[in-house]
Amino acid sequence: MMPLLKIDNLRIELTTRDGIAPVIDDLSLELGAGETLSFVGESGCGKSMTALGIMGLLPEKVGRIASGTVMFNGEDLAQASDARLREIRGNDISMIFQEPMTSLNPVFTIGEQIAEVLRRHQNLSNRAAWSKATELLDAVRIPNPKARVNDYPHQMSGGQRQRVMIAIALACEPKILIADEPTTALDVTVQAQIFDLLRDLGKQTGTATILITHDMGAVAEMAERMIVMYAGRKAEDGPVEQIIDHPRHPYTKGLISCVPHLMASLSDDRPELVEVSGIVPSLKSFGRDECLFASRCDRADDKCRSQRPPEMGFANNQNSACWHAGDV
Amino acid sequence: MSIEPIETARSPFAEAFEMFRKNHAAVAGLVLLFLIVLGGLLGPGIYPGDPFEMVWAPFTPPGEEGYLLGTDYLGRDLLSMLIYGARVSIAIGLAAAFLTVFIGITVGALAGFYGGLIEEILMRITEFFQVLPTLLFSMVIVALFGASLPMITLAIGLVSWPAVARITRSEFLRIRELEYVTAARACGVSNWKLMFKVILPNALPPIIVQAALMVGSAILFEAGLSFLGLTDPNIVSWGQIIGSNRPYILDASYTVTIPGVAIFLTVLAISLVGDGLNDALNPKLRQR
Amino acid sequence: MVGEIENNDELLNVENLTVRFPVKRGGLFGGKSYLYAVDDISFSIKRGETLAIVGESGSGKTTAALAVARLVKAFKGKVQLGEFDFLNLQDEELRKARAKVQFIFQDPYASLNPRLRAEAIVREPLDSLEAGLPSGRQGRVDQLFKSVGLRPEQQRLFPHQFSGGQRQRIGIARALSTQPELIICDEPVSALDVAVQAQILNLLRRLQKEMDLTYLFISHDLGVVQHMCDSVAVMYMGKIVEHADRKSLFNNPLHPYTSALLSAVPSVDKKRREATKRILIPGDPPDPIDPPKGCRFANRCPVAQKICNEKEPPLQSVGVDHKVACHLVDERAKSPLA
Repeated sequence: MMPLLKIDNLRIELTTRDGIAPVIDDLSLELGAGETLSFVGESGCGKSMTALGIMGLLPEKVGRIASGTVMFNGEDLAQASDARLREIRGNDISMIFQEPMTSLNPVFTIGEQIAEVLRRHQNLSNRAAWSKATELLDAVRIPNPKARVNDYPHQMSGGQRQRVMIAIALACEPKILIADEPTTALDVTVQAQIFDLLRDLGKQTGTATILITHDMGAVAEMAERMIVMYAGRKAEDGPVEQIIDHPRHPYTKGLISCVPHLMASLSDDRPELVEVSGIVPSLKSFGRDECLFASRCDRADDKCRSQRPPEMGFANNQNSACWHAGDV
Repeated sequence: MSIEPIETARSPFAEAFEMFRKNHAAVAGLVLLFLIVLGGLLGPGIYPGDPFEMVWAPFTPPGEEGYLLGTDYLGRDLLSMLIYGARVSIAIGLAAAFLTVFIGITVGALAGFYGGLIEEILMRITEFFQVLPTLLFSMVIVALFGASLPMITLAIGLVSWPAVARITRSEFLRIRELEYVTAARACGVSNWKLMFKVILPNALPPIIVQAALMVGSAILFEAGLSFLGLTDPNIVSWGQIIGSNRPYILDASYTVTIPGVAIFLTVLAISLVGDGLNDALNPKLRQR
Repeated sequence: MVGEIENNDELLNVENLTVRFPVKRGGLFGGKSYLYAVDDISFSIKRGETLAIVGESGSGKTTAALAVARLVKAFKGKVQLGEFDFLNLQDEELRKARAKVQFIFQDPYASLNPRLRAEAIVREPLDSLEAGLPSGRQGRVDQLFKSVGLRPEQQRLFPHQFSGGQRQRIGIARALSTQPELIICDEPVSALDVAVQAQILNLLRRLQKEMDLTYLFISHDLGVVQHMCDSVAVMYMGKIVEHADRKSLFNNPLHPYTSALLSAVPSVDKKRREATKRILIPGDPPDPIDPPKGCRFANRCPVAQKICNEKEPPLQSVGVDHKVACHLVDERAKSPLA
């Protein structure tokens, strides 16, 4: 079956004070209908930039797709016109963001904001749009939707606002939903509700989800496959369970073991957390022909520091870009 | 460590200076301002002449009889007047701006730091001064207490400080909630020190910008008062030159245009510098 | 150095701490009412141990910590810190006592004065609390930089020249400068990237061992709490609903809210995911200005009974080092959800 979204050798360049930096460097991925794919990595690794690249929302004059293709339904989004991208955004691909406090317009009721999307993209009449808005609020499990549709954003809690954002994102039944750290600003009990909601809605509508997060636990709960990004490059990708059990890239391994996780049963011993020393390199060093993780890696040797590692394949389509992937 | 941090210490102000230097318009403004101030300071030494002395026939056009900018309606040398006036105009601008900033920071800092009743009272007073018709109020002060330089400066200062007070207060409200202020409180730092040693230095950037622009508007204000005749007839300022030559604007327009251009250039230079400061001191425009 | 007996004594004992904020009601004659952000809580920490206060936003955990350090005014209650009755100290005594309590903040970008060099930031508490002789202060700063893992030449730099993790190290050095006994850590790693979190958490634990520090650790991240604490207090709407040692709380949570909280944490551990049934708590917490008269969790609790809406449950001991405020838990210490 043809994948819904197929990205090949994508390169996104950002113009900075110090010159041009490839914030996404040779990224390829496939996303099937109804599938959930997760992007993991620290801040500054290019997770969000990929999403913005797919949406055609790269910061103007600063970022651009330098090469590669983003095939969606047989159409290359990297070449698409602004008008076409606007049509696709909201209709076929939509996005929810981290900050539910600022992504809604405070001067309009939430019903107005959902209806607006429906009127614009689906040419619904005013009345039809409003009744659909109420349905959507019900679908995202906001209690008493008939009354709440007239609420202003400030009358809702953070979790409810994120639900409204999800309702807006799903209003046109998109094929892909990109969720960029959708629960980072929310409490953990609310996060669990939002995850449940996203999972259920995904099952019902067949929408494929790209979840961007830094939380391995969330990935384990939500996604089938994941891509670990480091410094604009794919460090590792493959099935979630398999990667968590047997990471093939030292960075993935570090990301998993540096976080104190809640385990099934708690014992008395608390070993030191594994540290990944240092921080993500600055944009200046992106694009060098070397393993960009080498400076933080205790396996690094001369080869790592002088040549970019190619992807090495393992069972079940797990790939790792590490010279030592075989013995990690 | 993957990246070595920059090993030379660069203070926020050093970085702001760097930004300012890269802003050509601002640097041009600064150079122009420097030349004007220099002219005011050194001018009398290079071009000696009494601005009150009637040297030649009135309305001698610029360039004739050796008078570079001509003479005014009383036959006084316009160039001497302009040089002498520069000192007065700029001095008034600086003094009024200083007064504005002094009152504004005091009121704004107290209101923003203490909040509650103190804030209520201070902000009501601020609002009172803000809604006064400024020109009328300063005219009344000057009319009542005499048109001396200090009175004019005081009048301008009194009507202009609310803007600075508001900026200072809002900066204080923002910064006092930041964790480094709480950290200082956790170490028992006194309120006085918190206000003026911890918070104020961090609140300064927008105040500095406002103060710079204040100098320009004070010069304009003084010109306005002089134009209406509310000025000390024994001194020469740019506004006063315009005011006194006003009746002859159609016959000898240069008597009004030349000081007008001087005011324009000075205020323009100050605005450019102010804008440059704004850009340089605003961390949002700087890359992290 | 620390004897058995000394190790058992309490460094911090907080009793009936209450913090309230006035809330303006609308209208000219709308009277003042109060929001009780922290409502009559008591807890204690043993010397050299870590107590974590966990809770979601609005639970009052940060306010409680600020009140303990006298950075927010307590309405009533008592904070006994070693020999000091901390809330009733004045002037010179207060200054001495302040040196014993220091704070580590959440946001490494807001917690350092951008106008000061790193060395001045670390030195500030020494100067303002007049701790030690002025001549010895530079040496102390050098030593602190070393213990938090910063290089000596970095002392001259300004905060914006450091990464988030390094800034947090400066914040830790500042907190350590006066040789405090109690350090209040308010979400010290939640603003940092995961890999950097591990560095800071390891540092905090190492320093605790080396310097015999006592931590009051505020966090919403239960994974981090589990790793750092010796005992835990769970807060919900200004109240402590459960207070237990680390193992009992995580392995045998008794309050339904604690169970719900734990069940909501996503985990990489497959066994845990399979073993945990998610306990859904629908809706939002009630209006904090006008809390219900019964249990504050009753409207979201999956097992609430009639009594829960009528009477407020007191925090009661149900076993060794395990207290819970729930009508449905008795001495047998069994979870009402089981």
